[in-house]
Amino acid sequence: MRCDNRRAAALISFFLIASFVQSSENQILVYKKKYIMGTVFEIAAYDQSSEHASNAIERAFQEIVRLDDLMSDYKADSALSNLNRSAHFHAEKVPSDLYRVIDQAVQFSRLSDGKFDISIAPLVNLWKAALRGEGTPSRAQQEDVRGCVGYEKIELSPPDRISFRSSCLQLDLGAIGKGYAVDRAAEVLHSLGIRDALINAGGSTIFAMGAPPDQTAWLVHLRDPSNKIDPQVMLKDGSVSTSEQTAPSLLGNDAAGHIIDPDTGMPLKTVFTVSAVSRTATVSDALSTTLLLLGPTKGKELIKSMADVSAIWISHEAQVETVTGGPQILFGRGL
Amino acid sequence: MSIRDTILVWVFVLASTSAWSNVFVHWTRSAFPPAKELGLNDLVLSWNDSFSPLVKAARRQGYRVYVEVSLHQSAAAAETVASGLEGVILTVRQSERAELEKSLPKLRAAHPKLRFLVLNPDGKQPEMRGSLVIKRNSVLEVSSPTAQPWIDTNLALVKIEQRSLQGQIPMYTFSWGGLSDSGQQQAALTATDYSLAVAEAGAFHADLILQLDERLQRALSNHDPEAWTLWNQVWSYAKFYSDTSEQRLEAAANVAVVLDDLDTSDEAMNLLARHNIPFKVLRPVDLNSGDLEGFDVVVVFAKPDRGACQRIADLATHGKTVVLVEAHGSYPWQNGHPVRLNEHAVAYAVGNGKVLELSEPVTDPEMFAQDIRRLLGKQNVLVSLWNGLTTIAVPYREHGRTLKVLELVNYAEEPLRLQVQVVGTFTSIRYETPEHKCCESLVPVKHNGFTEFVIPELRIAGRVHLEANHFNDSRASGVSPR
Repeated sequence: MRCDNRRAAALISFFLIASFVQSSENQILVYKKKYIMGTVFEIAAYDQSSEHASNAIERAFQEIVRLDDLMSDYKADSALSNLNRSAHFHAEKVPSDLYRVIDQAVQFSRLSDGKFDISIAPLVNLWKAALRGEGTPSRAQQEDVRGCVGYEKIELSPPDRISFRSSCLQLDLGAIGKGYAVDRAAEVLHSLGIRDALINAGGSTIFAMGAPPDQTAWLVHLRDPSNKIDPQVMLKDGSVSTSEQTAPSLLGNDAAGHIIDPDTGMPLKTVFTVSAVSRTATVSDALSTTLLLLGPTKGKELIKSMADVSAIWISHEAQVETVTGGPQILFGRGL
Repeated sequence: MSIRDTILVWVFVLASTSAWSNVFVHWTRSAFPPAKELGLNDLVLSWNDSFSPLVKAARRQGYRVYVEVSLHQSAAAAETVASGLEGVILTVRQSERAELEKSLPKLRAAHPKLRFLVLNPDGKQPEMRGSLVIKRNSVLEVSSPTAQPWIDTNLALVKIEQRSLQGQIPMYTFSWGGLSDSGQQQAALTATDYSLAVAEAGAFHADLILQLDERLQRALSNHDPEAWTLWNQVWSYAKFYSDTSEQRLEAAANVAVVLDDLDTSDEAMNLLARHNIPFKVLRPVDLNSGDLEGFDVVVVFAKPDRGACQRIADLATHGKTVVLVEAHGSYPWQNGHPVRLNEHAVAYAVGNGKVLELSEPVTDPEMFAQDIRRLLGKQNVLVSLWNGLTTIAVPYREHGRTLKVLELVNYAEEPLRLQVQVVGTFTSIRYETPEHKCCESLVPVKHNGFTEFVIPELRIAGRVHLEANHFNDSRASGVSPR
């Protein structure tokens, strides 16, 4: 089965005080869902016309489908697959969206000193086999594959050409692509006059536009592996993403997981789940993985260097670390 | 149940079942379209004061009429409404199962001309769920318990009913709930919604009581063309599962799940189903008496008695992997050297196989399902799908032999290109759907005892016919080689 490169954050929860049928301002809530990018995208939008909202949501879904056709590493005819096949030989001309998202990913790699790396795919695939029970890769296999990884080997030539300085480099946008697609979907909704909407990409990234009628923001409940804290954030024109490592096997002792640490080439060992809040879904998506890899100490330093960003790390044992440079993260209970 | 009763039930089932699955329509209004126009003949009515005239009216329109009653009402209902009825459908909750075992033989003996069917009313609306749950004037909640798209499926329920009600095809129903895509609660059930429900029951070889929206009932009775367009699609799905030539198939499974309590809400089994791990539900008594040769992994949730413990040890000795959940006792295999796998799991090598003891209940059903797939090993996986996160595949085989059919249901309800791998070497792969009748030939690629093929488009339902040549090897049996 195909797996997402990053696991959707399990158990993110939102609550919004919403009048389902009609609000006092005659705002009607329209909700739709669609399976894209290996996950369920959902959009809930308020508008005075349910037909208009419905059409706008469909257009937003079309945009996400279009981007999936560009960024999928599963579809053999996607622009990304074509890039992965050709960029070892020459600077490949790519669609502007693909260039933009790779450009932003590389910026994140630099910002995180390589912890975030879209060229990690060969290592992810190696460990995916271990997750399927095909045995832990040998040290030699790991070393072989690590030679194929490194964002520094991606060469961007504005405005639209990309080449690889490695014969085995492969890009995988799983840690940033959904966020980018959410931002573009929000742009579509906005261009069609929708002001208040929520876009949910499988629970791992949520973008809030405006606010529900009679509310100041969307109240979003965040993933809490301890079930003791109930962290929440009031989101208005902002995004939250959550990352966590694959849960350990109940019947085994393997250390496999889908998030690989580029420094060790092995699955990340962490007790934390991370939620990152920022102005755009592209940033929150990339940031949540990065912060999981960095851990709270280094992660907080990174956050302090960025504008309008907040984050929370929570362990199963309710150990909590927060940093606030953007929206305040609230606690429903426990702290 | 006596041997005579059991034989009678089976004779009745075999005589009355001409399809893998049957759709019963639950009707609540007083006007009926003719049965030959609806295309389905089995109508279910609730038992109430106006019941008798409704039965007559429905019969006049050509229906076989059933009454749906609670177990508590069953005797009275059978006495008073027997005339003109085809049968009585007993709605039985989990807590009433013991009582059912006593009352059902009595009911059948007292009313030999009536058909008595047992209904599980606790089905779920089949759907690919999002994380948003919207409640009127209340809250909007999001939760996503697994990494995969969350699929509400009735496969585990059907598997449990198959064991619980031996002698009757599993029958279930569910209530429509939640939001439609238009944001109107229960206002816009579509042909797709109904078709998915019919497809699911058909693919799982179960009977379904389909609850029709009152507005659709009214529109059908009033000859509304739009309603009939919708219904014709639904009917084409029902027909797809009734027009089957291959009757003697059984669900293939190489994982056995042994349960004390046949609780359909068990998430571990739901996750096995959603991970396309074919399993069969057994009771503890089956451990002692059943033929378990075809299973590679046996998961025991039940508390094993002495005899069951011995059987578990025997199974492991003969190469099986047995997983014992919430194991806290002393067991015969513990004489061997234990290997601690983690804080909660210990493994014992026993003969050619092993026993894994899990000291806790299954806390993460998603991971548990993945663990079971890993324990099976790549060589023992009957079916694998790629790009199939929203698809459930159910393999069927002739008794103990070759895989013959693969039923597929796509809960995303949108066209999907699907890669499939099945165990066995097949020379012919034919594909049909309700939209495109039998059959499109697909290209098989044979590889290390498996056959791979690509389904070009699966919208909601599809069926793959697998044919091995006459010199098929043991792998085509769907039973793993040793």
